[in-house]
Amino acid sequence: MSNFKLVEQSALNQRYFTLGDISVQVVKDQALVSFAIPNGKRKEVNDAIKQSYNTTLPKIGLSVKSETDHTQFLGMQAEQFLMLFNYKDNRAVEQVKSRLNALVYLCDQSDSWVMLRIRGKGCRTALERICAIDLYKTSFPQGSVARTTMEHLAVIILHESDDQYLLMSPRSSAESFLHSITQSIENIS
Amino acid sequence: MNQGFRIDNRNKSHLIQRDKTCVFNFNGKTFEGYLGDTLASALLANGQKFVARSFKYHRPRGIFTSGSEEPNALMHLRKNAYQEPNARATVTELFDGLEATSQNHRGSLKYDLMAVNDLFSSFLTAGFYYKTFMWPKAFWEKVYEPIIRSSAGLGELSGQEDPDQYDKGFLHCEILIIGAGPSGLAAALAGAQAGSRIILAEEDFEMGGRLNSETYSVSGLSGVQWARETLSKLGAMPNVRLLNRTTILGVYDHGIYSALERKTDHLATASNKPRQILWRIYSKRAILSAGSTERSIAFPNNDRPGIMLAGAVRSYANRWDVATGKNISIFTNNDDGWRTASDLIAKGVNIQTVVDTRSIDPVIDIPGAAIEMGVQVINTKGRHGLKSITLSNGKHYKTDCLGISGGWNPNVHLSCHHHHRPVWREDLLAFVPSEKLPYGMVVTGAAKGELNLSSALQSGYAAAKSISAELGHTASIENCAKSDEESTKNSAFWFVKHAAGRSWLDLQNDVTTKDIRLAQQEGFTSVEHVKRYTTLGMATDQGKTCNITAMAVMADKMGKTIPEIGTTMFRPPYTPVSLAVYAGRARGKTFRPTRLTPSHQWAENKGAVFVETGAWLRAQWFPQAGETSWRQSVDREVTQTRNSVGICDVSTLGKIDIQGRDAGEFLNRIYCNTFSTLKVNRVRYGLMLREDGMVMDDGTTARLSKDHYLMTTTTANAVGVFRHMEFCRQCLWPNLDVHLMSATEQFAQYAIAGPNARKLLQNIIDPEFDISNESFPFMACGEITIANGTPARLFRISFSGELAYELAVATRYGNSLMEALIQAGKEFDVVSYGTEALGVMRIEKGHAAGNELTGQTTALNLGLGRMVSKKKDSIGNVLSERISLNSDDALRLVGFIPVNRTKTLDSGAHFVALGKDVKTANDEGWMTSVTFSPSLKHFVGLGFIKNGHNRLGEIVYACNPLQGNTLEVEIVSPHFIDPKGERQRV
Repeated sequence: MSNFKLVEQSALNQRYFTLGDISVQVVKDQALVSFAIPNGKRKEVNDAIKQSYNTTLPKIGLSVKSETDHTQFLGMQAEQFLMLFNYKDNRAVEQVKSRLNALVYLCDQSDSWVMLRIRGKGCRTALERICAIDLYKTSFPQGSVARTTMEHLAVIILHESDDQYLLMSPRSSAESFLHSITQSIENIS
Repeated sequence: MNQGFRIDNRNKSHLIQRDKTCVFNFNGKTFEGYLGDTLASALLANGQKFVARSFKYHRPRGIFTSGSEEPNALMHLRKNAYQEPNARATVTELFDGLEATSQNHRGSLKYDLMAVNDLFSSFLTAGFYYKTFMWPKAFWEKVYEPIIRSSAGLGELSGQEDPDQYDKGFLHCEILIIGAGPSGLAAALAGAQAGSRIILAEEDFEMGGRLNSETYSVSGLSGVQWARETLSKLGAMPNVRLLNRTTILGVYDHGIYSALERKTDHLATASNKPRQILWRIYSKRAILSAGSTERSIAFPNNDRPGIMLAGAVRSYANRWDVATGKNISIFTNNDDGWRTASDLIAKGVNIQTVVDTRSIDPVIDIPGAAIEMGVQVINTKGRHGLKSITLSNGKHYKTDCLGISGGWNPNVHLSCHHHHRPVWREDLLAFVPSEKLPYGMVVTGAAKGELNLSSALQSGYAAAKSISAELGHTASIENCAKSDEESTKNSAFWFVKHAAGRSWLDLQNDVTTKDIRLAQQEGFTSVEHVKRYTTLGMATDQGKTCNITAMAVMADKMGKTIPEIGTTMFRPPYTPVSLAVYAGRARGKTFRPTRLTPSHQWAENKGAVFVETGAWLRAQWFPQAGETSWRQSVDREVTQTRNSVGICDVSTLGKIDIQGRDAGEFLNRIYCNTFSTLKVNRVRYGLMLREDGMVMDDGTTARLSKDHYLMTTTTANAVGVFRHMEFCRQCLWPNLDVHLMSATEQFAQYAIAGPNARKLLQNIIDPEFDISNESFPFMACGEITIANGTPARLFRISFSGELAYELAVATRYGNSLMEALIQAGKEFDVVSYGTEALGVMRIEKGHAAGNELTGQTTALNLGLGRMVSKKKDSIGNVLSERISLNSDDALRLVGFIPVNRTKTLDSGAHFVALGKDVKTANDEGWMTSVTFSPSLKHFVGLGFIKNGHNRLGEIVYACNPLQGNTLEVEIVSPHFIDPKGERQRV
């Protein structure tokens, strides 16, 4: 029996801060699993999603929420999605497999991305400084999701609710990403 | 000073705040102005007409315009590191505490030593540097060029790092309206009321354009009041964004515009906020309502302080309540010049004379002024400020300000950024935008040639209404504002002929009518060549007030019309931009993102020395107490690893998760060797070729289950390989059932290498997993758990040549795992090693890496030719068979050791056969990688040499002409350590 016990470390030490009317939360309790549909299996997979999560797969650029829990499906590209759900251990893929009665290609991405939730009246103005996506309410309505770049970093942006966005960027550059977000808020506050 | 030129008697402007005094400093003197002033209006209010020196002849110059087209009044603003050169006083917003100094003089502004240049002007004509200073030849580099260089340039940089902050950003709209003059405002209101998303951008701090400078009425209100009411409506609409102090700089593809917003330039301090923002604006449509710019008339000595454009004289009076003189004269060839005279009279300013080149009846009555019709101004006097003018009829008038009006040029610049040439309109005597415009752009108002207010309002309104309907916005909108139609009659009088003295065209670059004629005389007949030869239309103003007049001079000289001469093209940026704003916030450490490895914190705590590898910061070595050079640290890390066990963070290698029923077939096509036959829980080395048969990347790929592989790539090519594979998946073979996902960031992965690697791992791996050589042989892999249940993946692969494993866990455990591994290896005297030791060991083992995988080497060159399977097709397979790549004397990767073992090898040295001259013709290859081998106690190297595999034992020269080194080296096997690979299989 090994005497060792590994300790989790977050990509960022900070959890939450506020600048002006904008708050930034480092999200640490969400799993992210990529989810691809085998060729020709769309219907079977959609049926399984309906059965297990009581929702249907979203179109590319949109997201849907499970009606049975808080699991979200983000439409990223043809036949490829991300699943976002509450999470405690590090067996996210097994968690999905145990629930979904269909063959899908899963890959744990929970440790690949740092997640920042930016919230507040001015958050869209702050994001204007680094985000090339048009975040206007009719162009990027609630539930929209997109891949983009911010300050040279890959980012997935999800419009969660009014004046609230979830931003995901590669974990290794989390400090740089946080800096770019913070700087943007400071520059407008 | 007392603002003695401020008009106080009646019709006060509402655009300056007389209750808010700003104290400012110009050339060490203190002045007062008001909030709402520009630096230029405040200087004029204080009687400061002489504010600058010209570029070449250092002639005294005054304020010439009231806008961004200003050629003369360039200033240094602020001080020390904050100093900014070439700021135009005419667009510099006044604030309390502003500091400005004139530029381009040695000594004081009034007594400029360089004014002597004017005496030698005949030696300094167009292209003088091509013709003079040619003799004696030796003087050019040592004498002439240094003098010319020290005299050249406009303004001075501080030479210090710019302490201001800058930012960039992205904006989106349906209709971008460029210019908030009457046409732009009418367009914005119509478009916004229809329901379009509008951005209205205006370079001035006060929106309204010429309405702020005129006395027109619009829909029963004064122009200024109408503009303010319209702006108030627009400001209350959620679909409108008003951007004042914002210049649209350039037009790019797909409706993208660049814009510079000056956020804090009008404030005494930026309060640590960005001074300027460079916006990228994405628009569906754009309405260019940029207005027009008045042009001058060339006549002798037309450059004195006090001589300015008539429209500017009117602006200073109407907008800023400033009289530009006590006794003002007007020289015009059109009706608009008369409007200046009548507005000034209405303001109580004395008009000395109105001189009109046309032989017609006076346009309007100007009480108290001498009216001269069919007459020209042929000379002026006043060294530091205008004192008098001389007319062609012999009369002289004492005057301290001369307003010139040569007509108005539509601001076509942005319409030309996609290389669409403007077209000539004879009725306007001006170029207007052609019908070919950047996609989505419509031009309205004066920019289109609609030079009277009524049609400007109407054209903006109609354009916005029409575009909004196209975009699907049809909400009801109010009627277009109305105004009277003023006269815009013009005449083709460009310059005064047959008068003695220099007539200036380009005030900024000191280009005269004579320079243009000289250029043509010397063979420069194209307008573009004339521009470059004479410097006409260059620098900060880009000749906005003079280009057409210069073309008229060219046309006259060549006996052609102006449209036959044509115009130069306009390119971004529309007005000057600080270089710093292009950098934005990307300065210093935030120049680009930094990627940290999972064990970064641990390594930092251990005092690691880091190296940048791409965006990654990797531990290069871990110095210990007493070690005085990197070599000591690296040699220790290598020796300790080879003797016992070492650990290295290799998480930066690219990891690509490949799943699908056709994953094996997909890899067969991607790699030149076969992967569909790889057994589950086994790893194979793979070589990836480009289409041209050259090696693209290499790495190992593990088969985790029947339809699931995990590929590793080199650190440098992680993104490129993933992109290449996605292209192949989506575009080349969309029918294959395969999906890719980058897993690079998901796992912390550590190499554990050395004879005690297995023993170390057995201390941390959960006991149910057997990693003995029998159960987990070389190139095995598997899912395991470690440290009481943490899921992990283990790969038995070796880059060092030792018994080695790579252990991967979820990244969140990376730092903790490194600590645990070090703890688990204490009994074996475990060592952490960095990228340097990693490199040393791979060279000792003869493994190719970035130095060998240059994109110019083949599998054959690397000694891996047999890996290119001929039983299947793969990318690069066919072109790798090119005869020239497979000749007998093809380069081969081999090892090199110095004949004299005490010698150092040079990476990059070229090989030449013994007895041959060291020259390119005898070049046989080059050394790619060298290192001191702590294991062999001498230098070893890898390199490519012709037919190398058949030349083992041969001695050749390794030549480094750059350092003058030539060394005898022996060709040996590239595998310096354990050539049979026994260590890694135990």
